[in-house]
Amino acid sequence: MRAGNKFWWFASISFGLILAILASLTIIFWRELDPAQKTLLLQVVKEKFGYLFAALFLGLAGIGFLLDGIFHIYILPLVRVKEEAALINSANPGHRIQPEGSADLIELAGEINELADRYDQIRGSVEERIQRAKTEAEEEKNILAAFMAELPEGVVICNSEGQILLYNRQAKTILAGRASSESAAENHQSFIGLGRSIFSLVEKNLIVHALDEIAEKLERKEDNIVSTFVFIGKDERLFRFEAVPVLSADRKLTGFILIIFDITRELEKESRMGLMIDALTRRSRASAASIRSAIEAILEYPQMAPGQRDRFERIIQREAEALGDLLDQSTDELAEHIETRWPLVRTRAYDFLETVRKKADQRLAVRIDIAVADPDIEVRVDNYSLMTAFLFLIQRIGKAEGSFRFTLQAEQIKRLVNLDIRWDGKPIPGDLLRRWEQDILSVESEQFPLSLKTVLLHHEADIWSRSTKQAPGGACLRIMLPAPEISEPEKIRNITILPDSRPEFYDFDLFNQAGQDPELDECLLRELAYTVFDTETTGLNPAEGDEIISIGAVRIVNGRLLRDEYFDQLVNPKRWMSRESIRVHGIQAEMLEDQPTIEQVLPRFHRFAEGTILVAHNAAFDMKMLQLKESATGVQFINPVLDTLLLSAAIHPAHSSHNLEDIADRMGISIVGRHTALGDAIATAEVFLKLVSILAKNGIHTLKHAREASRKTFYARKKY
Amino acid sequence: MDRSRKILIVDDEPNIVVPLQFLMEQNGYQVKIAESGEAAIDLMERFRPDLVLLDIMLPGVNGLEVCQMLREDPELKETKIVLVSALGRDVDMAKGMAMGADAYITKPFSNREIVARVNELLK
Repeated sequence: MRAGNKFWWFASISFGLILAILASLTIIFWRELDPAQKTLLLQVVKEKFGYLFAALFLGLAGIGFLLDGIFHIYILPLVRVKEEAALINSANPGHRIQPEGSADLIELAGEINELADRYDQIRGSVEERIQRAKTEAEEEKNILAAFMAELPEGVVICNSEGQILLYNRQAKTILAGRASSESAAENHQSFIGLGRSIFSLVEKNLIVHALDEIAEKLERKEDNIVSTFVFIGKDERLFRFEAVPVLSADRKLTGFILIIFDITRELEKESRMGLMIDALTRRSRASAASIRSAIEAILEYPQMAPGQRDRFERIIQREAEALGDLLDQSTDELAEHIETRWPLVRTRAYDFLETVRKKADQRLAVRIDIAVADPDIEVRVDNYSLMTAFLFLIQRIGKAEGSFRFTLQAEQIKRLVNLDIRWDGKPIPGDLLRRWEQDILSVESEQFPLSLKTVLLHHEADIWSRSTKQAPGGACLRIMLPAPEISEPEKIRNITILPDSRPEFYDFDLFNQAGQDPELDECLLRELAYTVFDTETTGLNPAEGDEIISIGAVRIVNGRLLRDEYFDQLVNPKRWMSRESIRVHGIQAEMLEDQPTIEQVLPRFHRFAEGTILVAHNAAFDMKMLQLKESATGVQFINPVLDTLLLSAAIHPAHSSHNLEDIADRMGISIVGRHTALGDAIATAEVFLKLVSILAKNGIHTLKHAREASRKTFYARKKY
Repeated sequence: MDRSRKILIVDDEPNIVVPLQFLMEQNGYQVKIAESGEAAIDLMERFRPDLVLLDIMLPGVNGLEVCQMLREDPELKETKIVLVSALGRDVDMAKGMAMGADAYITKPFSNREIVARVNELLK
């Protein structure tokens, strides 16, 4: 309740009481009079009414002034002292109470100030010690950060829900591109950030599959627990991911580390090289064959006709020349040697087929039996791509032949492993199979952006349709893979096991955070992720065509303000700006000419703010600005919204001013870059963080509480 | 030598076809040439060769597919097949044999070797 309201309540109740007492006294007095006295009194009242009324009026007015004085000298200052003492106690220990009101209150304020001073002193020495410990921790953290930054590989650490806990610069470059650059071409980029989901950057299925594979390996107690997969990222770039599990002390999966290698270049080079070597061998063999055959014929049949002999000599000459040219051509390219970076991992054929069986059961609702006579048969595969190839084939056969039951078989014949898909029905015609080979692998709605042929080629595999004659008891598709060499050493990475106590370097609290709970309302305020933002505009009337010219935002995750994960973008408003607004924000029209338009910027901001609570100071204005652009930009901001203005008013009703400067000042926050969108957003974020701790002291813990408190102040402010 | 023995040479590279044809004719075989898989399948019905010298890397239908078709055709499945290929890795050879070829000869080959293999298969 606002202080002014309190006064009027206080005044009217006191006034009512006084009137009631006066009325009762008058009634008792009247009853005790005899009739003669009553007549006399009535007569006196009638004759001297003016005097009596004036006396009564003056008396009441006096009481009114007295009450007002009491309220302003004793009650209102007391409320302020209470609020300001709470402020000293929570958000801003440096704040001191401005003494006002009665002598006692001024003294009380003085005492509180003195207490605060003494508390400050004690805290100072404690803080010094904390500071020292912090510096030490900071140093360790810096060493870790420097080490991470120096790694040539991208590293991302996630909790089991896929939320990012830690990432290095390489990971950011690889996954999100140049995130802070401002070109409009990057409109479709995703953001990497602490607390964000890795699944917005890397297809969820790939990671889920890798984690499944890890879980199975853990169950089988294998040494090499790492799962690898290949991922096609932005701009067709190809990445090799190694997923390493993070286990709790009791060996439960609490998260995973992704180590990322960009293998686009290597693979391009490798495939070029592969093709080149292939062609070189083939063509030199062909030429050598012609030469050898011709010369042997000449030698063996010396009496052959001269015409025939001439033909052979010409063949020898031409092929010898061709061979020389071929070698010249290839030497340069051969100089670069390249090793394959799309890893094939040695796996038991049975395990691989078992994965296919499970996935087919889940996704295609197809019944599969596995018939593997020898469980020790091994193959070298890229698990995900070959599995997708199998699912793709099963799905296609199912559609073409109407089969829903399959048998998967594995057999090794010398240096080949045959993986067979068998079913009752007709075999797949060769030309249809060749068309399938050209198709991009897609299973249900999911796509793996390589063709069946590419995946098979990479596995050095061939695919054949076999008839019932060759495979009695039904049709069969056979995938022939070379068997792995007998002794291929595997690189093994160690598993990371967390100690019982928490590691000192980073905030890993997100490990314990509940998953994406739809009941956001019940979440604690200090555990939510926020995007705190501010807009600068051409003017203050959004409805009359004023436009956004700048958006700035920062993120708060787990109670930490992430200054490095900011959004800062000027916007071309495509309209004239008023002088007054230029004076406020200092942005000149020329600065905006080459900037992207709101249609380009807002979708990016929308992705930046995805999955977070929006916070702004006087949010109604900024939200109005965003909402007016919904139809033009096609993005809708449905995030929950909190307003620092309303929240401040909810906890400090006695203070009349709740503009950003005054709140920041009360809380001991200095604003750098006031009236730039990013500067204001950062200040708002700092204010918000302090507000959250004060709100908690006032019993406002969850998003729902905060929204209810805001709603009340909103109406309170609106009414008066 | 049996004059009726017929050999079909399937290769798109004339510089190897010429000496091969000469060699086979010198050894008393009747020879026809096909320059692609399709042409080979076509000739197969009319010419009815006893043995096919089959290159793998052919334009269109490749040698392995021709091989598979021959093995599945009840009338032609007895035809001897010698794969003559510039693909020289063990895996390629294993695949060829898996497709039902009777012999696999890697380019370059010696004339004596190829004649010996052919004679042996047509004994």
